[in-house]
Amino acid sequence: MNGHLVGPAHRRRGLHSVFERAFDEQRRALVGWAAGLGGLGLVMLGMYPSVRGNRSFAKLLEAYPQALRTLFGLADYTSGPGYLRAEIFSLTGPLLFVIFAILWGTDLTAGEEERRTVDILLANPVSRARVVVEKWAAMVVGVLVVAASLGLVLVLIGPAVKLHVGLVALSAAIVSTALLAVLFGTLGLAVGAATGHRGLARGVTALAAVAAYLLSSLPELVSWLRPARPLSPWYHALGVDPMGTGYRPLHLLVLLAMTAVCLAVATVSFDRRDLAT
Amino acid sequence: MGLGGARPTRTLLSPAGEGGHDPAAPPIALESVTKHYRGGGGIDEVTFEVERGEVFGFLGPNGAGKTTTIRLLLDLIRPEAGKVALFGLDARGSSVAIRRRIGYLPGDLALYDRLTARELLTHFAHLRGGPPWAETEKLAARFDLELDRPIRALSKGNRQKVGLVQALMGDPQLLILDEPTSGLDPLVQHQVHALMREVAAEGRTVFLSSHVLSEVGDVADRVGLIRQGRVVAVRRVEDLRRRSVHLVEVTGKAPFDSDAFARVPGVVRRDLDGPTAHLEVSGGIDPVVRALAGYELEDLSIREPSLEELFLAFYQGGGAT
Ligand SMILES: Nc1ncnc2c1ncn2[C@@H]1O[C@H](COP(=O)(O)OP(=O)(O)OP(=O)(O)O)[C@@H](O)[C@H]1O
Ligand SMILES: [Mg+2]
Repeated sequence: MNGHLVGPAHRRRGLHSVFERAFDEQRRALVGWAAGLGGLGLVMLGMYPSVRGNRSFAKLLEAYPQALRTLFGLADYTSGPGYLRAEIFSLTGPLLFVIFAILWGTDLTAGEEERRTVDILLANPVSRARVVVEKWAAMVVGVLVVAASLGLVLVLIGPAVKLHVGLVALSAAIVSTALLAVLFGTLGLAVGAATGHRGLARGVTALAAVAAYLLSSLPELVSWLRPARPLSPWYHALGVDPMGTGYRPLHLLVLLAMTAVCLAVATVSFDRRDLAT
Repeated sequence: MGLGGARPTRTLLSPAGEGGHDPAAPPIALESVTKHYRGGGGIDEVTFEVERGEVFGFLGPNGAGKTTTIRLLLDLIRPEAGKVALFGLDARGSSVAIRRRIGYLPGDLALYDRLTARELLTHFAHLRGGPPWAETEKLAARFDLELDRPIRALSKGNRQKVGLVQALMGDPQLLILDEPTSGLDPLVQHQVHALMREVAAEGRTVFLSSHVLSEVGDVADRVGLIRQGRVVAVRRVEDLRRRSVHLVEVTGKAPFDSDAFARVPGVVRRDLDGPTAHLEVSGGIDPVVRALAGYELEDLSIREPSLEELFLAFYQGGGAT
């Protein structure tokens, strides 16, 4: 079917589907984020030798109250898993992943509406549902690429600084982080698809992410919040400490289910609306 | 709520044929379509049909509701009331099947700016199941379009050409063009008009919006006039032209009597304004010239009305069909 479509530029960038176009649109941002998170991994690994097995450090941290140590993921700080948990997987890493996914997710349809390119896109015989799902898939692949970049840096360079982390624990932490990001990216897509406003979608979704983080973390300090914890996707991703306990299939399933709900809401609400009005 | 799939209306509207195609169904049929925006504006009870093989001009001043109507056809917005059907298919329920058969140029054209025209056109060709590139390239050459520069680097007129080529590519059965010639120089405008006539000659259909009657009059077979959200008249252009009317403006040395020219055959309208009389004369001009012989004149002009004036006179007198 595509045999005739040959031209020099086409060979360079054959945008066959909505998926490919959505991915291509963000490729520069993607390269930047992948490099950024890979770089974060490198920097953290670079600082590890001064922490590794450092007794005085361990003593210092033991002086903190237990609740604060859990809150900041400081348990076991001088070991490999403890160090990665504290420096990357308790807040910085997931936060960056979530921001990346929200920026992309909210741009997928709402950006297209705000730039008014939705008219020309839907001049083509593609259903709105297909547009939503293919664009969503591009964002998911993007998150996975960034996750792979961070994971590869940690796995390949970790041994050089004697960072000993089990592959299962490390991959569990990265997969949980990626799924959390995908969820918030999908939530951003849903709010954007339901409203057509990118800025609004970004605000709402960022707020939800902060709330999820607090609801996962604060129960360490405020015990009466504990029963509400399972409402927080952050809890299911990182609150259950994948770095310490490995894969937690039920918790990951909860994340996937929440993502599925958001994607369904995105698809249905985009299909029902007047676009770019 | 369906996700773009078939709905029951489809079978109701299209009795037979593969893909729900009913060859007798008009390319466009609107029935009492109403759409209001929050904060006012929109269209009311719009009803008209576009026939196969014609160029239909949709004429109206700014804000009349042309773009609203067109975006309803594309299922980008949904009506509050009324029926929108293309090729006998429900605009919403069969949107994808309909869009397989139409080319659309948005009025408020925004393209993927970072792509080159070639990248955009090949992308869309893929989404449409791959019209041969050679033909698209021929179209692009016809418009003298630069294919390998990023669209953001093109002038407004050249961007409009990209929009036109993507609408025309793949020879769609129905072209829906929202102010297609805006931003184009007269030479290219002329080319676009010629293309529309070719498309219609092949039995395909063109629906274009415009706010200049002279443009629509040049290219269209029929014209629909929309004002403040209502379609107030639909006319054949040739019927408008066939009406031989003259506008006479005459100034006498002295004011005319109040019943001057009242009994002159052919005078369909009289406006006396002191020494000046404005007359609309239908049929031959001869009786008026004879009647004028009885007066001492300061000034006299006789001209044919513009298409605009004809159209307006027509709908003031007749109302919508
Ligand atoms: N997205 C919108 N939100 C609110 N009102 C709108 C919107 N789009 C159009 N309108 C209003 O609806 C009316 C019809 O607008 P429309 O764009 O259909 O006119 P048009 O005939 O295409 O005009 P133009 O010749 O300027 O393109 C106008 O009064 C306009 O202000
Ligand atoms: Mg308009």
